[in-house]
Amino acid sequence: MTEIIIEILRLTIIVGIIFAGILVILIWINDQTKKISYLRLFIQIVSVPVIFLGLIIGPFGLPQFPPVGNAPRDAVVGTNIFGAPFPDGLSVPVLACYYPSGRTVTCPIWQIQAYIFPFWNTGLGFGWGVYYTTHGLERLAIVFGLVIVMAIVLGRFFCGWICPFGLYMDLMTRLRKTFKKRYWKLSEGVNTGLRQLRYVIIAAFLILSFVFGSQAIIGLQLVPGTQSGEYVYDYFSAPFCQVCPMKPLCVLVESASGFMDPASVFSQNTGLLYEAGYYVTSLNVAVLALVTIGAFAFRRFWCRICPLGGLISLFNRFPPFKWFSVVRLNKIEEKCTKCGICKRVCPPQVTEVYEEKGGDVTSSGCILCFRCVEMCPYEGCLEIRVAGKPIYKSRNWLEGLE
Amino acid sequence: MATEFEGKIKSTPEMSPKEIEEMRSTMESVSRKVIAENIERMKKTWPNRPKTMQYFDEISNFFGKRLEEIRAQKEADKKIIGYSCMFAPIELILAADAIPVRIDSGWYDAAKLGDTIVAVEVCPVIRSTIGTQMVNLSPYLELSDAIIISLTCDGRTKLSEILRDDKTVWTMCPPRMKDSPHSRKLWVEEVKAIKEKIEDLTGTEITRKRLRSAIELTQRASKAFRRFQKIRKGNPVIMGRDAMLVNQTSMWDDIKRWTQKTEELCDELKNRIAQKKWACPPDTPRVMVTGTPMIWPDSWKIPNLIEEANPQGVLVVDELCSGDRLLYDPVGVDEWTMSDMMDAVAERYLLASTCPCFTSEHGNDDRINWLLDRIKEYRVDGVIYYVLRGCILYAMEYARIKRILESIDVPVYYLDTEYTREDVGQMKTRVEAFLEMLETRVAL
Repeated sequence: MTEIIIEILRLTIIVGIIFAGILVILIWINDQTKKISYLRLFIQIVSVPVIFLGLIIGPFGLPQFPPVGNAPRDAVVGTNIFGAPFPDGLSVPVLACYYPSGRTVTCPIWQIQAYIFPFWNTGLGFGWGVYYTTHGLERLAIVFGLVIVMAIVLGRFFCGWICPFGLYMDLMTRLRKTFKKRYWKLSEGVNTGLRQLRYVIIAAFLILSFVFGSQAIIGLQLVPGTQSGEYVYDYFSAPFCQVCPMKPLCVLVESASGFMDPASVFSQNTGLLYEAGYYVTSLNVAVLALVTIGAFAFRRFWCRICPLGGLISLFNRFPPFKWFSVVRLNKIEEKCTKCGICKRVCPPQVTEVYEEKGGDVTSSGCILCFRCVEMCPYEGCLEIRVAGKPIYKSRNWLEGLE
Repeated sequence: MATEFEGKIKSTPEMSPKEIEEMRSTMESVSRKVIAENIERMKKTWPNRPKTMQYFDEISNFFGKRLEEIRAQKEADKKIIGYSCMFAPIELILAADAIPVRIDSGWYDAAKLGDTIVAVEVCPVIRSTIGTQMVNLSPYLELSDAIIISLTCDGRTKLSEILRDDKTVWTMCPPRMKDSPHSRKLWVEEVKAIKEKIEDLTGTEITRKRLRSAIELTQRASKAFRRFQKIRKGNPVIMGRDAMLVNQTSMWDDIKRWTQKTEELCDELKNRIAQKKWACPPDTPRVMVTGTPMIWPDSWKIPNLIEEANPQGVLVVDELCSGDRLLYDPVGVDEWTMSDMMDAVAERYLLASTCPCFTSEHGNDDRINWLLDRIKEYRVDGVIYYVLRGCILYAMEYARIKRILESIDVPVYYLDTEYTREDVGQMKTRVEAFLEMLETRVAL
């Protein structure tokens, strides 16, 4: 029975990949990349195999340091940053899960939690056969360093253009459009509330990581059973990841591509929250289901609450990081007639672009998808600036009508 | 109202059909003359007008070709829906396969007739519209099966009551503040209500497909409109009056044909730009008008004065709801679902409007932004602030706008007038003095 389900899943993924490939080719051939929405979709689809390159190019296996094979991905995965071995891979602020072993980049949220908690010290990491030669604090510094640099350079451009979960939600939106169903809107209050909730989530998992890892960090066990090798210890190695909706998707991709044994993934039963398998908790699946339905009704549903997006915003939208930030959304007040199009077309329902007076209108909820710039009918009113230079301006899109 | 009065007592006095017909025919003949004279004057100022202008001249005649077309279509069971103000969502009217016509009146004689009903303090556009209704001067108003009146200013609010005596009138109430989420909600509901009324009248259901093609139709019109406006940014290749005429014909012409003809006109003007054939010397002072609507045919008084004055001025751009604001803002649809299209249509009329009936925490800054942007883009030398006596909203907004324009060193002239031909001489002196000042500034 499980094998049939697994076969179906595998087929779905393969069909999905073929379909995405055809879509990419079609967009390219028809030169739709001139339209920013299609260019974005194109880059999103192309990013997926790049992020999960290890699934395509072998050798399959856990990332190790020193690298085990000669595969290109080893150069990226088992990498060496500023002389420090970094076996978990480069921290890139997209929801590219740590859990599937084939990834080339790693979600910094996992790394932050993991380096606080079970991998605090040097030595053998939990369960993976990865040996850490650097102390957890050093590794944390590297993760934050990378995240801050990337947040300053590209900011939430990662969310709009690269994040595979963003693509998943955009595909949900496209699916809804084919059914000609309307989207729903969250009220402004709820939306702002969710945006603030991101920081509560970040604080919560940091505190949880600390509490569960107290044995390793301060030598005092705050919660029973949180010693190395004990059940709770294993389970809470990264509290947020056990809720994150991206993990099941990553594991699904990995199982379908043949690296991970699907049978073992779905048959292992290690407790109430682990019922869906060793990698994926029931909570993961439940949140994914919720977010999938949510993404069908609301555009970019998860982005409003994503702690990773919050982390990028933290290092991009607030001073002092704001002053050095490279990619910005700018508005020229004089050209704006407040027609409200920018507000209506915004997937995560950002209102700042509409409400704020001219100048820098990049806000912490903005995923830099450029949709407002694309739809603004007033020439040069909204523009994307890279290091102060406008690279993409709103234009009279009516001219493109046949 | 007490039942004994309901439907029995009108605002307008009873007149015999003979009396009405007499007044109508006198006014009509005057109007025909004014239309012909205005076109003649335009031709005189600019002898080599583009060939396509002939089409717009024809359409501009209220008693000509377009009227016959509309009559024929009405006989073929199409509904005519008139509207006052540009808040009526014409996309919905087009989607229901009805014909939208704007019924705001520019007839001076009718305003005099309106004086007998309402006091002269009332805005002349309103008085004139009442007058045209009394004697059926406006054929479009007469043919309308229903009239959409937006309750933007006090005049229009009460106009709806007076017109309701003889006509089916639907009112739409725009909120006075655009920014708050509940005012947007109110307006979207108003648009939805109008949609249902249009559907009931025409018997045509506005489906997703129909609305989409109607929106695409107006988007194309906006495209042509914007192209036309863009051409006016450079050296004057078209006189302002002619451009205003092109813009205004969109209020009652078949929108598809209007788009096509405007594109043709643009092609012709592009050729002229290539040949450097300007409509008037490129150093002519570039004037912008802003304020109350100037409606064809009688309100051509001021544009005529500006462009025939000595020294001459040329109207390069305006901020009038009868001019540049007509089709400039497109309906921007994100997803072609019914709800998003309705939102897009509603927001296009409410949020993009720069009507002075709105206010916000920052004043009517949308209008100020529009003015500042146009002044820069169209290299405007001077602004004529046109106010019809009785329009409190425009008159009161002048205070701030004057100071803002002064601060950026753009001369602005407050020109207040009436629906009357008697003050032409006085207006001429005032306009010429202003243009002379502009000319010296340009020369410097």
